[in-house]
This record gives sequence, structure tokens and C-alpha cells, in this order.
Amino acid sequence: MSGQSLLNNASSERKKLMRNYSTGIYIHIPFCIRKCNYCDFFSVPLPAKEYLQRYTNALVAEISQRAHEGAGKKIESVYFGGGTPSLLSTEQLETIIRALDDNFRLPADMEISMEANPASLNARKIQDFTNARINRLSLGVQSFSNDDLRVLTRIHSAEDVRVLIDILHSQGLENFNIDLIYGIPGQSMDRWIKSLQTAADSSPMHISMYLLQLDPGTPMAMDIKKGRMAMLDEERELEMYTLGREYLQGRGFDHYEISNFSFPGRECKHNLIYWQAGEYIGIGCGAVSFMDKSRFINKPDLKAYLYAIENRQERPVEEIEKMSHKGLIADAIILGLRLCSGINMEKFRSRYGIDISREYSEVIKSCSQKGLLKIENGQISLTRKGYFLSNEVLCQFIA
Amino acid sequence: MHKRIRNFSIIAHIDHGKSTLADRLLQITGALSEREMREQFLDKMDLEREKGITIKLQPVRLKYSSKDGQEYILNLIDTPGHVDFSYEVSRSLAACEGALLVVDASQGIEAQTLANVYMAMELNLEIIGVVNKIDLPGAEPELVKQEMEDVLGIDRDEIILISAKTGAGVEDVLEALARQIPAPDNKEDDPLQALIFDSYFDSYKGAISYIRLVSGRLQKGDIIRIMSTNKEFEVMEIGVLSPYMTEVQSLSAGEVGYMAAGIKNVNDTRVGDTITGAQRPAQKALPGYQEVKPMVYCGLYPLENNDFEKLREALDRLKLNDASLFYEPESSDALGFGFRCGFLGLLHLEIIKERLEREYDLGLLATAPSVVYKVILTDSSEMYVQNPTRWPEPQKIEQVMEPYVKATIMVPHDYVGAIMELCQEKRGNYLTMEYLSPQRVMLTYKLPLSEILYDFFDALKSRTRGYASLDYEISGYETADLIKLDIMLNGEIVDALSFIAHKDKAYYRARAIVTKLRKIIPRQMYEVAIQAAIGNRVIARESVKAMRKDVLAKCYGGDITRKKKLLEKQKEGKKKMKQIGQVEVPKDAFMTVLDIDKD
Repeated sequence: MSGQSLLNNASSERKKLMRNYSTGIYIHIPFCIRKCNYCDFFSVPLPAKEYLQRYTNALVAEISQRAHEGAGKKIESVYFGGGTPSLLSTEQLETIIRALDDNFRLPADMEISMEANPASLNARKIQDFTNARINRLSLGVQSFSNDDLRVLTRIHSAEDVRVLIDILHSQGLENFNIDLIYGIPGQSMDRWIKSLQTAADSSPMHISMYLLQLDPGTPMAMDIKKGRMAMLDEERELEMYTLGREYLQGRGFDHYEISNFSFPGRECKHNLIYWQAGEYIGIGCGAVSFMDKSRFINKPDLKAYLYAIENRQERPVEEIEKMSHKGLIADAIILGLRLCSGINMEKFRSRYGIDISREYSEVIKSCSQKGLLKIENGQISLTRKGYFLSNEVLCQFIA
Repeated sequence: MHKRIRNFSIIAHIDHGKSTLADRLLQITGALSEREMREQFLDKMDLEREKGITIKLQPVRLKYSSKDGQEYILNLIDTPGHVDFSYEVSRSLAACEGALLVVDASQGIEAQTLANVYMAMELNLEIIGVVNKIDLPGAEPELVKQEMEDVLGIDRDEIILISAKTGAGVEDVLEALARQIPAPDNKEDDPLQALIFDSYFDSYKGAISYIRLVSGRLQKGDIIRIMSTNKEFEVMEIGVLSPYMTEVQSLSAGEVGYMAAGIKNVNDTRVGDTITGAQRPAQKALPGYQEVKPMVYCGLYPLENNDFEKLREALDRLKLNDASLFYEPESSDALGFGFRCGFLGLLHLEIIKERLEREYDLGLLATAPSVVYKVILTDSSEMYVQNPTRWPEPQKIEQVMEPYVKATIMVPHDYVGAIMELCQEKRGNYLTMEYLSPQRVMLTYKLPLSEILYDFFDALKSRTRGYASLDYEISGYETADLIKLDIMLNGEIVDALSFIAHKDKAYYRARAIVTKLRKIIPRQMYEVAIQAAIGNRVIARESVKAMRKDVLAKCYGGDITRKKKLLEKQKEGKKKMKQIGQVEVPKDAFMTVLDIDKD
């Protein structure tokens, strides 16, 4: 099998990434002005402004402690996630990026992405962040309906987003993503279409479209349980998904991952590293790293994290998984199948030494019969029907 | 020596404090040190301890120094307290000379207790009345004493008031055991006769039999003969339970202990059998227990098809000390190979199933329980049907009969109306009503056994705030208008889900079960049609819509481990399903026929 067929649908950017299994750096900023009722990421309300500086210092310390992990790796992306990383001041951001550059040598044109809450940005800040080398923003827009935003307890309004998007365009920061959520209690089909439309009209390079899924511990999940609100039914959710997909494709976006759409070449490089089972160094409280076949987490406990770093003790790491070869394979499959182009089986064989089609022949057969999975031109991938039923397929690949 | 042996049982309703009293007896007699003591010590099964119910206590030998200066040996041979196991009562009582009757000071005598006391009286056992839980706020010991005198003729002045929990009065119980219960007859010089009253299987020693020597002596090395089979074995070990197994040199008439004789075949040491000596055999066996017939049947199928043999072995082992357990191989289109098993009642079923799962590590699927129907065919032949799949074609059926019970219900008089209403709903026929005291009433009804099986007991308890108690005995077969209901999934009959219902209730039950199945069958790749039919006529239908969504919307670096756990859970969930045709059915589904009235 030639390398050519593997890349049939892939952009040249992706080509490069797949060859090198490059390494990404993830920086976690676990603070929010207020936690949204549906969120299950690790974040805490920002206690006091000074905390951000203290946390920045700790990040810088951790970065230098872990410089050796980057030795011999090609760092391909940096991603600031949260929480709300856009709460950082320009100086703090500059400090962190400088530390990264000093310790990991960031190539000049690399993607440095940041998640941002629309309410936490203004023209000045965007200008400063761009100067500090941020070249991609991911905006937590979620919806262009204020009714939806209220249900989600977001702190911004649809108008805030419109203003912000104007600023981005006027400043030439075209590489941004808009996050949208569907399946919000009370959301009508009409509202969803309007959100999609407004999002596409805002000319982002990338749109993520997530189905609202609640961890049982979230306040919204409690509201649902107590009958104060109701989730939409599955039929409606599927309709929204299908509509969103078709609409965005009609507007020129590539559907490249279960929930992600972009213009060609504008995929999120950092996230591609995850889905291609590449390595990443996670820095900050609660951040996860995947290096040398092990997945680690910095304990999601702010006090413990700060204490350990400030007192030059060992990083409060707990090992999550030391992966077996089988485990690595299962991970690579369940992550790789999230990509619409799927997994190139020849490449996979040379990387992991197994032939997927032979090893999993039964699973592939039964999932193909159900119309969830397909093999074409040496690529194994989910079908359109399979995207929204992916767990049904993925769980069968787990050892 | 035998003059100071006292063999006794404890008769008590479930929850009236039997285990706690036993704990206290162990403690006071010093059988266990404080360190060894744990609650419900004699409850053999984890299952009993967990459920907080005692089916039957392990036998135990206690040494008690009485106020008269003598040391007595007290052997406790317990009786089960649940209606399912009433047959076992006779076998325990037969090995005793006396019984403690324990009644809860706030509950009074319960129907089941009454039946067991009558049995003890028939066997001429000395009965010592005990009122327990006198420390509780709701206790009315004087009233309960009066009731015991009125109903059972036990002299109220001789009834002992105790709190097993605090230990108050328990010394008096020990004293009464020593003083009032007669010593066993001294027949040490007669040929050996020992009653097997319980047994279990030990992987090293083979069958361990719990025995009561009625006459003669038994020593290690003796050759014994099992009287029903005439098979002979050499005694490898004998001992007593005090409460741990303690080897002894010999046991003689009147004593209680255990025996291991390298018996490997479970059929060679049946409970109720008599052991005698091969050298000088007894003329005849002790009166055995009456053969008990299972009243409830269900199919038990291994979830893993290749566990069939393992299941057979496990059933063989359990049968050893449970003569009432019946099983024979059967096969089902839907479930493969398994066993049709017969039980004394639902608790018995549940316990056996749980023991198989826990002690033998089997994953099991149980089909809905069924009673044994008698079907008279148009050619005048008769057949007994305990599996709905064997139900004859409707056109060949002349008449159907189902087992009825005579139920005795004891209840405070305020609830008589509620009980009558319940019995009507359950197709019962009123027989008698009798006032035991101004407050307590005893009702008797004739009821179909199948109605009692499902949820009668729960309904009884909930409608009387827990005050009613129930006992029943089979009264015979009666004609009934019964039909077979089939359940179909995507048009195919699932044989294991078929059940027999009364015609008047068929529609209701069909409706309830398809609704329930709709709730518990998860969404699948395709829509699943659930139908209930009598013959070719569908009388209820529902459908499970096809699965539309099963996706993790996002999965990034930090989520991978957590999301993978979700997928693993999903995969585990799949294993708990039974694939029937294209449909994945949760294993509990087969018991749903049981639960439908509860919702």
C-alpha cells in the first residue's frame, strides 16, 4: 500500500503530522469567572487575581523542570486550555510562552492555540495576545441564542460574540474556532439552525459542534434528574447532528472528526495529535501527559499542585496508565476512528505491527453489516451513520 | 453422661431475634472468646448475614454450668424460620427433645411460628416460651405472654422475658434448658441409629454429615452402613461443633456431632437417612422425613454456554443438604442448555440461585417461576406441566387444574378488610375467621399457589404495615381457566419468556410485561417489536425504538482515560446481555414476569 492512498482526503498539514507523530504541549489554566452548570472539566472559580500570577510562576517552574521531556521531540503545537486561559494577562501569557520557547524551542510558525471565553476578550487583549504569538483562538460561543446561553449559564451574550468576531477580523486573526453546543434543553431546531448560520457567517476557519452530554455530577444533570429541565430526545439530537453536518459541509467546511469541521488545512493541529495517538506534555494543575507509552495526570488539586511546585518537591503526579502494547493499539484505534478519514491500515501495521483487518475481523464484520464501519482504499473508518453511534463500534475494539 | 445432654431447637419467626439469641448463648457459655465473636455467628451463609435473615443456624454444642452445680451439654439444632423451608422444621425437630419458642414482644405470634410449634407439640417436644426484644419501645410482653397462653396453652407464668440484644434474661433461658428439657433416652447399648439431619460437601473430606445419635455408639474407624442404600463406609473423622469442628473419639446415643466417612457421591448421604453399624445393624431405619415436593419451577441457564457442566456439579453439591432441590436438564431455543429446577418457594429459588452464583462463580439466567399445572387432555390422559413451553396445543386441552393452598394469615383486626380485599384480588376463597385475642385475627383462605408466588407476601406486608404473617400448605388441585401467553421479540417467540396466566388477568399481565420489557430492553441498532400473544392472537404490543445516539461528543488529551472507562463499561454491559436472534436482552428480563405487579 502506498502512502498516497492514505492521504487521499488528508491535507498536506496532516500528512506532515502523521509522519512524525509529533509532540504537543498542553497548558491547563484551571480558572473560570464562574463555572458553567454543564461543565465537567477541571476548573475552579478564580479566587483572587494574585492567584493567576502565582499559578503562572508555578507553570514556569514546571516547564523548566520538564524541559528534558522535550529532548529529541519535535514540538508541533501549544494549546492553552481550561478553565478560561484568556483570563491570563498579556504579561503572564508572555512569560509562559517565553519559558516554553526557552525550554522546548518552539518553531517560529507553529500553531499556538488558546481557548477563550468571549466575555474575557477585548480588542486590546487580542492585539496583545497575537503579539505574544497566539495565532489561533477557540471561542466558547456555544450558541447564538441568548435563551440557550442562559440555560447553559454562560457569562456572555450573543452580542458579545458578534462584537468580538468583528474585532478578530479587523485585526486579521482569521484562524479561530467557534464551539457550538446542540441538544440544549429547550433548544428548538430553528434556534439551532440560526446558531449554525450565524457561526458560519462569522467566517471562522473551524467549527466544533458538540452534543450536550452531562456528567452525572454537574448541576445541570441534577436539574434534569429532578425534572427541572429535560434533555431533548435522541431523535431530535440526531436530527440536529445531521442537519449541522450537512449545513456546514454546504458552507464549505470539511467534516474531519466526529464533532469537528474546518476549512481544508485549518484542522486543529493540537487535537490531531490526540486523535493520531501522538505524544503530548501536559503542564499545569490537572493536565494530562502521554509520553513514553504512559499517561500521567498532574493531580487536579490546586493547593497540592502549587505547594509541590513552590517547595520544589516532586510534581504531584499520579500515574494513570502504563500502557501495554495491546492498550496502545486499542487507544490508537478508538482515537483514530474519530477522524473521518479513519485509520490507514498499512501505516498502522508498520507502527504497531498488527493488521487491523485480520486482528479485529469479527468486530469489523459485524459493525460493517450494521452499516457503522467501512473499509475503503486501505482506510478503515466510521460511516456517516457510525459517527453518531460511534461508542457502539469503539467499545468493541477495547481489549 | 447422657443425662446432662439437652438437644433443642429454636422456633422463631424471621426477625424475631433468633441469631442474636444464639450469639448471646455462645457468649455466655464461653464457647467463643470476645475476639472470636462476630454478629450472627451461626448464620452459615454470607447470604444470610447480608440479608439479615436466618434460614437456619449451624448446629452447635455448648457447655453450661448450671446453678445446680452440674455441667450440661446443650446441643442447638436449629429450625428454619421461613415458610419456604417448613419441611426442614420437621427434620430438625425430630433430632431434639425440646424447643425454645421465641416471640417478638412487639409482634406477637406469627402464622409460621404457630405451624412450627404445632409440629413440635406433635413430636412431644418440651416447649420453653421466650418473649424477646423486651427492651424495645413498642414491646408489650404481657400481652404477648397472654397470647401465647391463649393460643398455644403455654403457662404464662413460665414464659421467660428476655432481650437477646442486651443479654437480659438469657441466663434464665440457659437455666430453663438445663432444667426443663428431658435428657435423651439412654440407648447406648442398642445397635447404632444416627439420623442425618444436615450435610454439606467439603472438597477435602467429602460429604460432612451432621448427625444425631438416637442409639448406640460411633467411633472413628467404625464401618457404617447407610440404611437406604446399604452402602458401607469407614468413619474417617467424628467430632462436635463447639462451635468450630472439634474431633472427638466417640459419640454415643443422645449426642449430636458431625461425621466424615469419605463419602464422595452426594446421593449416599441424604438428609433424613439413618446411619447404622455394619457389624451390628439396627433392625430398621429411624422414621425418615417425608419426601418434599418442589412447588415452584424455573429454568436456570448458564450465561456462558460452556458452564453447563459446572452448573450440574454445583447443583449436585447443593442437593446434598437440600433434598427439596430438584433439577433436570432442559434446553431452550432462546437460552441453550440449562436445567429445569424445582424449589420450595421463591426465597428458596433466590437463595439457590445466589449461592450458585457466589459459591460456584456461575453467571446465571433464571426464567420466570412457574407452578406445576395439571392438564387433562381431550383423550382423557393427564399430564403435569411445570414448564410453560411444554403447554399442550389449546385444542387438545380438555381441562386445566392448578395447585391451591390453604393459607393462614394472622393479622391485627384493623387490617382484616385489607387482607380480604387482597385475597379477593388474588382469586382467593374465604374459609374461616377466628379471633385469637380481641386484637388479633386468624383468617384462612384458599388461594391459587401461583398467586401467592408472585407478590402476595409483599402485598400482604405493605397493606398491613408489616403486621400480617402468612403460612400455607398445599391443599390440592382445582380447575382453572388458564391460558399460555407467549412473548415475541421481532416476531419470534422467546420460549423462555412464555408463561401461564389466568384468562381474566391475561390481558393485564400481557400489557404489563410488554411495557416492562420495553423499559428494560435497551435501544438496539434496529427497532425491536415486543408482542404478547395467546396462540396467534397478539393482545399487547410495544416497541423499542432503534438506537439513535451513542457517541462521545468530545475526546481530547485529558479525557482519554475517562472516556475509555465509559467504553469499557459499555463493553461490560454488553456481556450482561443475552443475544436472542438480533436482539440483546438483559438477563433480568426473564424474571420480569414476576415483578410486573409491583410497579
